Amino acid sequence: MSDIILNEDELDCLQELINIAYGSATAAITEILNAHSTLSIPKIKVIEAKNLKTYLNFEISSEFSYFISAQQFNGDISGENLFVVDKNSAKNIALQFGLEENEINDNELSDIVLEITNILSSSTMSKFSEDLNIPISFSPPSIDLFESLLQFNNDLTSNYEKVIIISTNLNFKEQNIKGTLLILTTDKSIILIKEILNKILDEL
Amino acid sequence: MKILITDDSKMARRMIIKTLKEEIKSDYELFEATNGLEALELYKKNKPNLVFLDLTMPVMDGFEALAKIKEFDKNANIVIISADIQKTSMDKVRELGAFDFVKKPIDSTKMKQIFEKIQKT
Repeated sequence: MSDIILNEDELDCLQELINIAYGSATAAITEILNAHSTLSIPKIKVIEAKNLKTYLNFEISSEFSYFISAQQFNGDISGENLFVVDKNSAKNIALQFGLEENEINDNELSDIVLEITNILSSSTMSKFSEDLNIPISFSPPSIDLFESLLQFNNDLTSNYEKVIIISTNLNFKEQNIKGTLLILTTDKSIILIKEILNKILDEL
Repeated sequence: MKILITDDSKMARRMIIKTLKEEIKSDYELFEATNGLEALELYKKNKPNLVFLDLTMPVMDGFEALAKIKEFDKNANIVIISADIQKTSMDKVRELGAFDFVKKPIDSTKMKQIFEKIQKT
């Protein structure tokens, strides 16, 4: 079991950097959807990877179908971003993007969620890694549709020790889009992030 | 004018086409590729005047496709459109000879600027 804990200052610093990075990513998403939206301040939390299934089932309704897309990143910090979005929100993204009801099917939704994931994940992580001065590279994202989050398999998290959870709501006039970005990462990466956060804090 | 759009996401290609339609009134012929290898093959076959290229793609990524297209035609006009906004990525594509780097999603103003720049070359 991992015993790496971020103290209050480190967590606050991490939250600020993630907020900035995620903010630039969601600005890109609202630009794509061509609609004014209000963005809830993302809730950020760090948990043990082995507790993710419990967290998801507690925080997110397990009754709906969910798309979960994954994108790996590699470099001195490595890991995988998961974007969890319920099927109804995915449909709302498609409608907001201009698709007609009769054009929407699982393939279309998968394609749209993949691109939204690519932008959210790559923009967030590239801004974050830029701020930390650690270059990373990205793999193309992949996607699965889960009939219920109860199907979520812990194998998805088995290579990682920590999860940085970023949950947010994009609220449009008529449609709400709820999504959660999860950054799965290793203890080795968290140790490096912790070192850099402390350097940043020392300079303040 | 021939334009090649390369992205593994249909949605991303649609967004570029939508912006093209809004901003560019002259005639153009469109080609679409879903990865770097397809882009390379379509480039060799059709010699487009302008290529839009994503970086993160399966089969062959944008960095490799950029290098290979430039190796085939050093005058190729390739615009990278990516959500990877790291300085190292931008520096790398410039070194490889990209015509421009645009953060996703491309907007009308940027599209107009690219076309004005292309016409001056």
